[in-house]
Amino acid sequence: MAQDKSYQAWLDMLNAAQAQIADNEEQLGALDAHAGDGDHGASMNRAMGAVQEAIAGMQGEGVEELLKKVSGNLLRIDAGAIGPLLGTLFRGLAKGAAEGKGLNAGGLADMFRAGLDALRGQTKAQPGDKTLMDALVPAVEAMEGAAASGANARSTLAQAADAAAAGAAATTDQVAKYGRARNLGEQSKGAADPGATSLSLMLRGFADAVRDLLDDDDDPETPNA
Amino acid sequence: MQKFINQPDDLARELLEGFAQVHAGKVRVTDGLVVRTEPKPSGKVALVTLGGSGHEPALSGFVGEGMLDISVAGDIFAAPGAARVLDALRAVDNPAGTLLVILNHDGDMLSGNMALEMAAEEHLNVRSVVTCEDVSGGPRSEPANRRGLVGCIFVYKVAGAAAEQGRSLEEVAAIAQRMADNSATLAVAASGATHPQSGQALGSVPTGEMIIGMGQHGEAGGGQQALASADQTAALMIDVLLADLEAKPGDRLALVINGTGATTLMEQYIVWRAAAAVCAERGIEVVRGACGEYLTVQEQAGFQMFVARLDDELIELWDAPANTPNWTVR
Repeated sequence: MAQDKSYQAWLDMLNAAQAQIADNEEQLGALDAHAGDGDHGASMNRAMGAVQEAIAGMQGEGVEELLKKVSGNLLRIDAGAIGPLLGTLFRGLAKGAAEGKGLNAGGLADMFRAGLDALRGQTKAQPGDKTLMDALVPAVEAMEGAAASGANARSTLAQAADAAAAGAAATTDQVAKYGRARNLGEQSKGAADPGATSLSLMLRGFADAVRDLLDDDDDPETPNA
Repeated sequence: MQKFINQPDDLARELLEGFAQVHAGKVRVTDGLVVRTEPKPSGKVALVTLGGSGHEPALSGFVGEGMLDISVAGDIFAAPGAARVLDALRAVDNPAGTLLVILNHDGDMLSGNMALEMAAEEHLNVRSVVTCEDVSGGPRSEPANRRGLVGCIFVYKVAGAAAEQGRSLEEVAAIAQRMADNSATLAVAASGATHPQSGQALGSVPTGEMIIGMGQHGEAGGGQQALASADQTAALMIDVLLADLEAKPGDRLALVINGTGATTLMEQYIVWRAAAAVCAERGIEVVRGACGEYLTVQEQAGFQMFVARLDDELIELWDAPANTPNWTVR
């Protein structure tokens, strides 16, 4: 795929992620209200605002620069843990882009693996701890599985979004190990983790954007992967 | 929600505007950082902290001579971004070095630790101390589970005094750590608070009940029980704190009652006196004390009881001059 198409795809992906968050702001706040302070929807909106500012400041420098700017802006917002966590994820994605990973199954899997590795440098949270890791880890594994089976980018992101949504839904029955919800112990059960939910919404946005932008010529399956 | 506010997104900015104007002789707000009006002379260790807003006067109320150089204030109950903490570390960078004090909350720790990593990449001379003195979070052997409550302010106090004396970064950090290690706090709530942005109720407390072990965002931490008298509540709490510190006859303590928003000074003094009486019975000397609102949780009724074991040096630093909006020693 041509580099310019890849750049356009990332712009569309980020915009679609913002739309998903905006459409679900109230739900995210309500999830957070179960065991937290109810401001996760507002925090995520602020995070997506920081993403928009990064986009507005771009002059077509490319995917790596775009993701770097997104990361830098996310690290600047005051949104508790969300700024550092998403900022770190995007720093890892930018690193993947710097290594020339493209918008194909293998490239996406490598980029998101780099994002996950970067996050692991900042938090010890594991799947099952009721954090965004419960959405991100299965999403990365789904991408790697899709890449191994020769899927195209659209199918890879769709599978990742499905896996993230399932992972986020499964947090409903988990006891929180991180954040303010941790202090509630068993009472933190009964609502999905807001961070895992917003990450799965962002991935859904990524998947929808790429589905709408690319056609079979842009996005062939990669049987040799 | 019955609060006198404007737009929810403007709360942190507006409160800092008012705060800086009221205390214009001591602090100002520059690029979102609360800094001293009169900077500390170069060549002395700088002190920086970070944390969410909505806990006024903490944390920015302790910026000034003898305490903090910069407070990086986040949004309501939300840590500031790591890049903004790095801005502060750059702003105070000097040959003597900088101590970053981080309260143990997930957002603060993530931002603080990332800022430390970025500062190290720029070869800034920064060390950090984490305050985690909430005994309700878990045993002393599991510091990661203990939240940082009002105790941070007394770490600022003694470390800030040591910095003013021209002590090295190693010494200032060691003093801060010693204060943190010898501190213990337990919170009690008699009502919940309201998140001023979301309107969300934080940690409701049934009428006639109290919750011991409630954190500073209304997080529950354990013990819900029938609301007790000042003397009974004080006795219950000081007992837990003295056990945690393994306080012995002859120990010298600081005892502070920090109101969390809707508990009157009247109640705080009554509780303080009851806790001090228990110490006296056990041969433990309360040598320094304070009551007041230092770190609040909006309109939550309740208080944080803080004790610290002091030695000669910590007492001297506790008594050293300070001139900040909310803690002054002459």
